[in-house]
Amino acid sequence: MKNNYILCLLAFLTSLAVSAQDGNSCLNAIPVTNSFYTVGVVNGAQTSTICTTSTTDTANNAEWYVYTAAANFTVQITSNLSQNVGADTRLHVYSGTCGSLSCVTGNDDVSTNNFTSTATFAATAGESYLIAWDDRWSDAGFEFQISVTTPTPPAAFAFTISSLTTAGDNRATVDMNGDGLDDTVSVGSSNISINYQTATGFNNVNIATSNVVNRPFWSLAAADYDGNGFTDLLYGGGSGVTFMKANNTGTAFTEISGSEYVFSQRSNFIDINNDGHLDAFVCHDVAPNVYYINDGNGNLNFHQGADPTGVSTGLGLVTNGGNYGTVWIDYDNDRDMDLFIAKCRGGSTNAKINELHRNNGDGTFTNVAAMPGVNLADPIQTWSTAWADYDNDGDMDLFIGASSFSNGGHKMMQNNGDGTFTDITATMGPDIGQLGTDIENVPADFNNDGHVDILTDGNIMANNGDGTFTRYTTNIPANGAIGDLNNDGYLDVLNANNLHLNDGGTNNYLKIRLVGTQSNINGIGARIEVNSSILGPQIREIRSGEGFRYMGSLNAHFGMASDTIVDIVIYWPSGAVSTLNGQIINRLMTITEPNTTASLVDSQDDELLIYPNPVETTLHLQLPTFHENMTYSVFDINGRRVLNAPLTSKTVEVGSLNKGLYFIRILDNNRLLVKKFFKN
Amino acid sequence: MRILNIFSLLFIAFVLTVSCEKDDYSPIENPISPVIVDLASVPYEKLSDYQFFKAPLNMLEPEQGVLEYSLINKLFSDYSIKKRFVWMPEGEKATYVTDDALLSFPVGAVLIKNFYYDNVLPSRTRRIIETRLLFKKTSGWEFADYVWNAAQTEAILDLDGSFTTVDFEKDGIQRSVNYRIPNLLECRVCHKSDDTSFPIGPKPQNMNMVMSYLDGEKNQLVKWQEVGYLEETNATVIALPNWKNPSISLNSRVRSYLEINCAHCHKDTGHCSYRDIRFDFTSSGTDENIGVCEEPDEDLGNGLTHLIRPGTPARSTLYYRLNTNNESERMPLLGRTVKDEEAVQLIEDWINSLNYNCN
Repeated sequence: MKNNYILCLLAFLTSLAVSAQDGNSCLNAIPVTNSFYTVGVVNGAQTSTICTTSTTDTANNAEWYVYTAAANFTVQITSNLSQNVGADTRLHVYSGTCGSLSCVTGNDDVSTNNFTSTATFAATAGESYLIAWDDRWSDAGFEFQISVTTPTPPAAFAFTISSLTTAGDNRATVDMNGDGLDDTVSVGSSNISINYQTATGFNNVNIATSNVVNRPFWSLAAADYDGNGFTDLLYGGGSGVTFMKANNTGTAFTEISGSEYVFSQRSNFIDINNDGHLDAFVCHDVAPNVYYINDGNGNLNFHQGADPTGVSTGLGLVTNGGNYGTVWIDYDNDRDMDLFIAKCRGGSTNAKINELHRNNGDGTFTNVAAMPGVNLADPIQTWSTAWADYDNDGDMDLFIGASSFSNGGHKMMQNNGDGTFTDITATMGPDIGQLGTDIENVPADFNNDGHVDILTDGNIMANNGDGTFTRYTTNIPANGAIGDLNNDGYLDVLNANNLHLNDGGTNNYLKIRLVGTQSNINGIGARIEVNSSILGPQIREIRSGEGFRYMGSLNAHFGMASDTIVDIVIYWPSGAVSTLNGQIINRLMTITEPNTTASLVDSQDDELLIYPNPVETTLHLQLPTFHENMTYSVFDINGRRVLNAPLTSKTVEVGSLNKGLYFIRILDNNRLLVKKFFKN
Repeated sequence: MRILNIFSLLFIAFVLTVSCEKDDYSPIENPISPVIVDLASVPYEKLSDYQFFKAPLNMLEPEQGVLEYSLINKLFSDYSIKKRFVWMPEGEKATYVTDDALLSFPVGAVLIKNFYYDNVLPSRTRRIIETRLLFKKTSGWEFADYVWNAAQTEAILDLDGSFTTVDFEKDGIQRSVNYRIPNLLECRVCHKSDDTSFPIGPKPQNMNMVMSYLDGEKNQLVKWQEVGYLEETNATVIALPNWKNPSISLNSRVRSYLEINCAHCHKDTGHCSYRDIRFDFTSSGTDENIGVCEEPDEDLGNGLTHLIRPGTPARSTLYYRLNTNNESERMPLLGRTVKDEEAVQLIEDWINSLNYNCN
């Protein structure tokens, strides 16, 4: 009996020792080192924090291990071993402590034909890392290997998944409460869940709304279209469009749903008629595009196609639509916003041909994509294009992302500065050929080196600054809304299920937030130029709605590398120009629009002379020098811009104006020449 | 009475004898069809204006010249039931093109498709939701949609589209759908080839079935020829497998399902021809065309590696899209708001039955 008792006690004690580290929970994680291990069956406690980017749902069970680094090592954990043929594993690696885990890395599938997992991370001496293998796909046993090596240089782009409280579909990284900090926005059928960014982390508020039929499944756009200081939302739904207008404290939303059938795709806020009030634009998949003109009192009125009470030329008139991705940009640098439509359609039809609608400055738009030299009337099946100044020469280039290769592949078009574009895809280098098809293409400088990169379908095409791009794909978020969610000056990505925080680096940055006065309050449509000693010029625009589905920050973001002082010029939609020289970096600047009329002071006759005055139809200009890239604007007596176009000759046609007093202003870079005149 | 009966029998026998001798019979004058379709003024405001059906309208009892037809494989529309009819002007008929191509209809032809639910709760009655028309003008096919009133006495022209809630019981399961009545633009998305509008259903391969008529059962294509709605032809037409028939191979059933629910967009001239899949039955016999081991163009972010991954429905995009109601992910893109659960099960079973590896 005594022997049996001792044996039982020993067995009990042994079992205790075994269960203390049986891998069935985080607290009981099995210590591991540089070796091989066998997982019998995945049946321990689950992990609720998911570190993999390709699959983001939780599993039922996990097996737990813990690795403690003796020094700064590079650690690889893998189940991609020959003895694991046919295995299907999923791996998460955490720092922190049980109950308060943070993702370091993770992996689901090594490739589309190999469902084992491999992940590598940089371990810090003395730190412990929890490892969880879960049964998302299979609970069958397998072996894995930990291999430890001396560290390799850090990846150029690295993101860390950060947990976030959300309810609904994640759609935006945009400032919702007017403090300049980007917040996250998630939308459900009867709620809007906002994580307000604060200096100490996120403050989650889930706001109940009416039950909406038109959910932002296809796209979401955001802007303060009634100018009350709180950001409003546009839901692009498959059967219609819904606006959610924020109240005057940003604590509730009023639903405004149109009765019109709209098969929404990309949506944007933009001041189409340049009256200082934000309008809305929504791509229509199967009909001419629709747009909503602001009546000046915060009401948006529906228009479609060519409408003399809206936009007389319309904004994309193809009967059967094909309108998928739109972005408003100033492609010809004449200081007004043009519209590029990325188009897509099957069958033999013109609906798939891309369109570039040039803003003529007089309320009309012209599709110039097929004009000589423009070369943008492309049948490529594209859902979004990424417009940015990739070569930092002062004008907007575009990367056209192919959603299917059946009518052409990805393309990089360089803006020649004169309204024409050249196909420079080949100069991007070989990595462009590794890209698959995609629907999301968005420009952003992710490493703050002063060269704009492209996020496209789980790849960052990193701009090397010499025309070539290098593809990075490890742990890159597939797509998403782009903003700065932790105010560290590095751009982060919010996608369907995860917030991916940019690991950052040591480069400088500058963020600029605009507050319009005569222009719309968000400054949407403004062109910002910064100039710094080493990087030279960089340009951005304030845009509401890029890529296909998501809404990014309304702040302009510049990577500044090691430059520390910048000169800034802002061309406001109203025509006003701001110049701020010698500005320091590494902050968010808020810049308010100056009064336009204050700048409309007659220049000297030896700078600008106009005749005849009064004038009936044609105004003649006399200037000492005539440059390319000069633009002219005509303002009425209230400072509202009524004409705007590139200055291509020494005459300006003013016959379309009503009788009255006006100012003509010539913009020569950021030098202003003004003369008052009377139209008969 | 007895004498009358004998005469009736003799008369009927005489008629039958005459009508069954194809070579040299004189056709009995058909009674005039009361249907009104004036191509210059359609679509009419009310469904009853066409006089397709006898009173009461909701019994859908066809007038002379309005012929009920059916399809072997039917489109899934949120579990609604369809009653289809065709009418053509006097003396006009459709012609056969190929087994897998739409019949060529004459100008003036009208296709009528009624959508209804039985066992609508709480009263367990029938509710007709809408009647869609396709009529062929000289300029091409045009659409009209008629939405039925709650009293089920009339249906009114409405091209704007709308939603209506339907609670019903089917096969013992209670369901509620937010049924979508399409806007005119939605019709054009599916019913087209390139930019030209067309019907989808009436292809010989999907019509080659036995149908019950008032005077008995008959092969549908034969019936159409007999009533003069289809030119006489000696073509041997294939019959598509019925996807609901459990004794047919899974692969055949899947291909039939894809033909009627998906091929109108996923064909050479369809809305999404730029996706490499081809779901028309004629094309879908190869792995490449149906999507086995083909990678998807769009990354849905859920570990989906192929359109169809043998043995693994959870990693198959096709299965995922049929199994979701998310507006921007579901397939078909239009025409349903809930899942076709039987079809999802069929796809799952079929994918599980494929036991080879992608390279």
